[in-house]
Amino acid sequence: MLQCIFLLSDSGEVMLEKQLTGHRVDRSICDWFWDHVISQGDSLKSQPVIASPTHYLFQVVREGITFLACTQVEMPPLMGIEFLCRVSDVLSDYLGGLNEDVIKDNFVIVYELLDEMIDNGFPLTTEPNILREMIAPPNIVSKVLSVVTGNSSNVSDTLPGATGSCIPWRAADPKYANNEVYVDLVEEMDAVINRDGVLVKCEVYGEVRVNSHLSGLPDLTLSFANPSILDDVRFHPCVRFRPWESHQILSFVPPDGEFKLMSYRVKKLKSTPIYVKPQLSSDAGKCRVNVLVGIRNDHGKTIDSITLQFQLPPCILSADLTSNTGTVNILGNKTCSWSIGRIPKDKTPSLSGTLVLESELERLHVFPTFRVGFKIMGVALSGLQIDKLDLKTAPSRLYKGFRALTRAGEFEVRS
Amino acid sequence: MFPQFGATAETLSKASTMVFRIGTDAHLYDDPDDVNIAPLLDSKYDSEKCEALKRLLALIAQGLDVSNFFPQVVKNVASQSLELKKLVYLYLLHYAEKHPNEALLSINCFQKDLGDPNALVRAWALRTMAGIRLHVIAPLVLVAVSKCARDPSVYVRKCAANALPKLHDLRQEEHNSTIEEIVGILLNDHSPAVVGAAAASFASVCPYNLSLIGRNYRKLCEILPDVEEWGQIVLIGILLRYAIARHGLVKESIMSSLKCSENFHAEKHVSDDNMGLGKESSDSWAYDSESVNMVFRCYIESPDEYLSRSSYANRASFELNGAQFTSGKTNDDVKILLYSTSPLLWSNNSAVVLAAAGVHCIMAPKEDVKRIIKPLLFILRSSNASKFVVLNNIQVFAKAMPSLFAPHHEDFFIYSSDSYQVKALKVEILSSIATDSSISSIFKEFQDYIRDPDRRFAAATVAAIGLCALRLPRMAHICVDGLLALTRQGLFLFSYFVLSVCLDRIKVPAARAMIIWMMGEYSSLGEIIPRMLTTVLKYLAWCFTLEALETKLQILNTVSKVLLGATGEHLSTYKKVFSYLVELAECDLNYNVRDRSRFLKKLLSYNFVSEGVEEITCCHVVVDCIFKKQTREVKAESINYRVYLPGSLSHIVLHAAPGYEPLPKPCSLLLDDFNKPEGTCAIVKGAGDHGTSSDPSDNESASDYDSQHSFTGSSSGAHADDNESSEGNENPDPLIQFSDIGNASEIQDGVFHSSPANLGEISNRALESWLEEQPGSSNPGILEQSQACKSLARISIGDVGRRIKRKSHSLLEAANGNGLKVDYSFSSEISTISHLLVCIEVFFKNCSSETITEITLVDEESNIASNDDVPTLVPMEKISSLEPGQTTRMILQVHFHHHLLPLKLALFHDGEKLPVKLWPDIGYFVKPLPMDVQAFADKESRLPGMFEYTRRCTFAGHIEERNKEFGDSLLNKDKYLAICESLAVKMLSNANISLVSVDMPVEAKLEDASGLRLRFSSEILSSSLPCLITITVEGKCSDPLNLSTKVNCEETVFALNLLNRIISFLVEPAY
Repeated sequence: MLQCIFLLSDSGEVMLEKQLTGHRVDRSICDWFWDHVISQGDSLKSQPVIASPTHYLFQVVREGITFLACTQVEMPPLMGIEFLCRVSDVLSDYLGGLNEDVIKDNFVIVYELLDEMIDNGFPLTTEPNILREMIAPPNIVSKVLSVVTGNSSNVSDTLPGATGSCIPWRAADPKYANNEVYVDLVEEMDAVINRDGVLVKCEVYGEVRVNSHLSGLPDLTLSFANPSILDDVRFHPCVRFRPWESHQILSFVPPDGEFKLMSYRVKKLKSTPIYVKPQLSSDAGKCRVNVLVGIRNDHGKTIDSITLQFQLPPCILSADLTSNTGTVNILGNKTCSWSIGRIPKDKTPSLSGTLVLESELERLHVFPTFRVGFKIMGVALSGLQIDKLDLKTAPSRLYKGFRALTRAGEFEVRS
Repeated sequence: MFPQFGATAETLSKASTMVFRIGTDAHLYDDPDDVNIAPLLDSKYDSEKCEALKRLLALIAQGLDVSNFFPQVVKNVASQSLELKKLVYLYLLHYAEKHPNEALLSINCFQKDLGDPNALVRAWALRTMAGIRLHVIAPLVLVAVSKCARDPSVYVRKCAANALPKLHDLRQEEHNSTIEEIVGILLNDHSPAVVGAAAASFASVCPYNLSLIGRNYRKLCEILPDVEEWGQIVLIGILLRYAIARHGLVKESIMSSLKCSENFHAEKHVSDDNMGLGKESSDSWAYDSESVNMVFRCYIESPDEYLSRSSYANRASFELNGAQFTSGKTNDDVKILLYSTSPLLWSNNSAVVLAAAGVHCIMAPKEDVKRIIKPLLFILRSSNASKFVVLNNIQVFAKAMPSLFAPHHEDFFIYSSDSYQVKALKVEILSSIATDSSISSIFKEFQDYIRDPDRRFAAATVAAIGLCALRLPRMAHICVDGLLALTRQGLFLFSYFVLSVCLDRIKVPAARAMIIWMMGEYSSLGEIIPRMLTTVLKYLAWCFTLEALETKLQILNTVSKVLLGATGEHLSTYKKVFSYLVELAECDLNYNVRDRSRFLKKLLSYNFVSEGVEEITCCHVVVDCIFKKQTREVKAESINYRVYLPGSLSHIVLHAAPGYEPLPKPCSLLLDDFNKPEGTCAIVKGAGDHGTSSDPSDNESASDYDSQHSFTGSSSGAHADDNESSEGNENPDPLIQFSDIGNASEIQDGVFHSSPANLGEISNRALESWLEEQPGSSNPGILEQSQACKSLARISIGDVGRRIKRKSHSLLEAANGNGLKVDYSFSSEISTISHLLVCIEVFFKNCSSETITEITLVDEESNIASNDDVPTLVPMEKISSLEPGQTTRMILQVHFHHHLLPLKLALFHDGEKLPVKLWPDIGYFVKPLPMDVQAFADKESRLPGMFEYTRRCTFAGHIEERNKEFGDSLLNKDKYLAICESLAVKMLSNANISLVSVDMPVEAKLEDASGLRLRFSSEILSSSLPCLITITVEGKCSDPLNLSTKVNCEETVFALNLLNRIISFLVEPAY
């Protein structure tokens, strides 16, 4: 089980330590860790499990903050990693983002949360809804109050009722004047287009996000028109497994507020909404770049915020890239970013220019991979359709809303 | 563009953060002790106390010790404010162990709180009380826990379950039975939340008491889907252990391949029919029975146990008989376990999915295992950190059942955002699941990967292509053609190299013949291949007699082709090889070979005279006519040794982590156990019980095993540096040896015929180790290291020996010693008397004009004590007289006992006594331990982690040297060589060690010495423990270099001292 959790800033400073068991972990382990991060660079940063001389370390890095957990005994490594991910999610939810300042500013809350989330190295309460009831998130009102009155407690006086119920994710008995449920399909398209311009793989990872404001203990069922296209699914704990197994129906008592009901994936899609055609040719110490972007097939929805990013090869001396639409920026880490936005009706966006190679190089052997970003509102590219959403114990008025959104996930075009 | 705006924006953002920080605890974190905390704690206002405690907490967060406030804080435990209580508890738990007496004061309050009507107060009191960890209060806590275990509030009961491991941790035997009893009660709880926590405490309190599970097994299975996710992870493991201990393994599962290997193949075909995966995939349901067998065996026995036994060739001792198997179709307990874990494959928590997948892999009938595939692939996308862990597990699953993953190969295609480790794992998995139908698309991907900017990954891909060719002999031509295309581009010379490395592994004559043909065909390509050729040809000549007919013919062709194309320096070697081969071939049993050899001999002997073009083409025609493509079955490569249970930590770090337990022995839990009084340990613990007591050295044995496979003899690749190459050509013995072959080619000047066996053996080993090396197969540390080694060329430095200058220290100045001058220097000689003694050369010089007589050195304290720990001097012979101007050399032998303080000696001459001090040098407490690179790396891999110390320093020795030699003819001397030499000389002049190897990275830039690596080895005199030193260079050739010096040694204190000494002499200027 976990023995200690450290929060490190992006400069390696230990911002917080929380000892979890009687076997205390000295913070010198962080020095060891940081020394190795410095000496081995990114290869250690990307290693989630590290065997140090004295402890096994799990690390999760989020927005520059390193969450480091130590253990000395066998335990499932994914449990440690998942827990750290959960901690970072909860913290970023509480503090409205993660960075060094916000953690230091709210260190008391972080301590209280950690104390509630893990007991003796084993996760205790990780359900965000219950945590919110136990420890109030910092908000403007409480801040102002604390300034004015000089004291305010963010620790709840009583135990949230949900801890005892068999649906621990739902706060007990909320009351709403308007009963509303919103269901969003948020999809991310992963695609790889290889050097020959062939679509090697194209799949969609989607999430069903639900925002529910329902009084009492609602029991919802959600069904899809075409569940057969789903390749695999994962559920929020509130989803009952058996109805899904037998009829592909989601039956659940929702948590209050916003949550991820289910994630799914749809494989082997046939086409992408946009095409990217890079052409690179290299000789005589130069490399000519020409990239075309266009809409492949019209979904009837506008494609927004199209961006194209690629890493310039390390042996490039200078780059002169221009585009007929949008803006081209070359960032400090040799990343070229071309933000197009919407594709204009009258022309095809293109990026062209030359890269000058280092003097001793004749040709470029390594061509960059283009990462594409886009966003399409109002359509789920997987084709998944929600059939209906029912509430068993229907209150007088129920407002239901559905939305869909697709954006690019790992969308890569190799050249 | 507008700096002034930037500045404004910055100040604005600063200002805005200031605004946001109002009302938070920012000021407390920034200046926790800007007010006096003590009076605040005694304040009568809760808010002030809160503030004080927050400040204390901030100090704790910043790593300061504020335990001195403990007494004042404890007083506040009785406060009614919950926030204050919480803060006090946080503080209390942090320091309770330091102040047991004061902590006791709080007990009464806890006792009172335990009776509070507010469940939250009860729970907190229990948590804190149990967390205080004082032996004296353990009985009180036990009572409190057993009371809370029956509390009406679920939350309190959950906390009670969590409190049990804390109590158990105090290791008070008398409470164990009570604790286990409470675990039993809580496991039987009707609330899933409590059961989950109880499962966790069961796992840490009494994991062997499976009879506790037996009573509730069904109920636990049924409740499992409702348990909290964290509890599920632990509970799944417990239920699996119980099912195996109670019912044994499942006949229809993959684990059943353990039953007996003879039946295995028959059974395999039966199961394939059940698979229903289509004809094609059942054909390739070819898991390597032996390796899968081994992995699964290790799940049951501990790997150490299994491996140690197998090394004694005594595998048969552990037999699983039929009685230890059950049928998954008829056994209800197994069925319910599988039934209740299958929905967990849909869990949002990737750890739960992996745990459930592990159960299915081990227990499910083969035809049902496929249901774990999609969930496993799905959790690959959960987070970057878990991706690595999941892939590690998939790797084993994929090796055990490649056919199941084969249709999903697209999921392992890499994204540019993947980290190197993830990429390497994916490529390895791809190479192991490739089938005849998917290889073409996989190969297309591989071709893209080869162009990845990350050279390590490109190299891993080339290796993976090699593996694919080995696995799928029918498709080998695609792979070989692809590599060939690369070779043609001259872009990736190392692909050629990979092929030659493959040569040793590929046993199929046709494949060997094909590769040998390639060597001949492309013998003149690029810079490296011609230099490699000598050794490759020698290797071929050595194994000629063992080859198949086809290969023999091809070898003859190749050698003649090489000979035809050869020019310059190597021609004579090739000729020698050729004539040797022809001689061998003429006596061959096969007339074809004899025929060919005579034909070629005739042809070439003519060719040497006339150098005609026609003959060459003629020869090529012959070659082409004879060459035929054929492919036959190739044995699949063996599985990596990930022998720990899927999902475990040990599986990732590749050694048994403390507390790792293999699965219980099948059917070791008997029915009678249910009738036994509880508390007695019911299950026969596996003999591999190295559990919690396992110390690092224990782990060594396990990781050793892996490291043999992950170790790379640093292997070479292409080297682009022209400067370097030309240097190499000029040298009589090559400056850079491509080390795989390098080992072998060291013998090249020796009599070639006399040592073929030796040559073969060495290159065998080197080649094998290269091929065995697979990215991701080693533990992180070794991985790094092996990756770093990957593209290194070995440099041999000429004789540094003559440049070594031992440092001379002065023992006595002539002015103080009435004309007697005594100098000493540490000698590399090894004492003949005892291995504990360090030899010191002492020079006595008479600087006066009179004869000095009766000189002797004695230990000043020798008469005081002669106990073992004090440095002692072996009595020295007396120098009867020393003429003016005469110098006498004596060898002094001292037993320093690793003392680093100066040794006080008394120097007598002419009846006078002079006290002198001799400064020990830890660099000479060791002696050289010659070894080859492989042995070095092998030893190094056994000394990881705590046995390893690294320090950095800068080194400017090579610059001084260059300045000194400026104007000499050495201007054009190679910079690398200069650095290597000056480093080596410095090291060897200051410590009694031996140089093992000098490696430089192949892709080194002209001026950049980064990656240069020197290895030295030595042995501690007193303990004969090896002590390994590695110096890695960073920086530009012409600037001072950054050195990172690493010492690996079992004697850690010694290693540290030695390291410090090395750093100090590396830093100090040379002259």
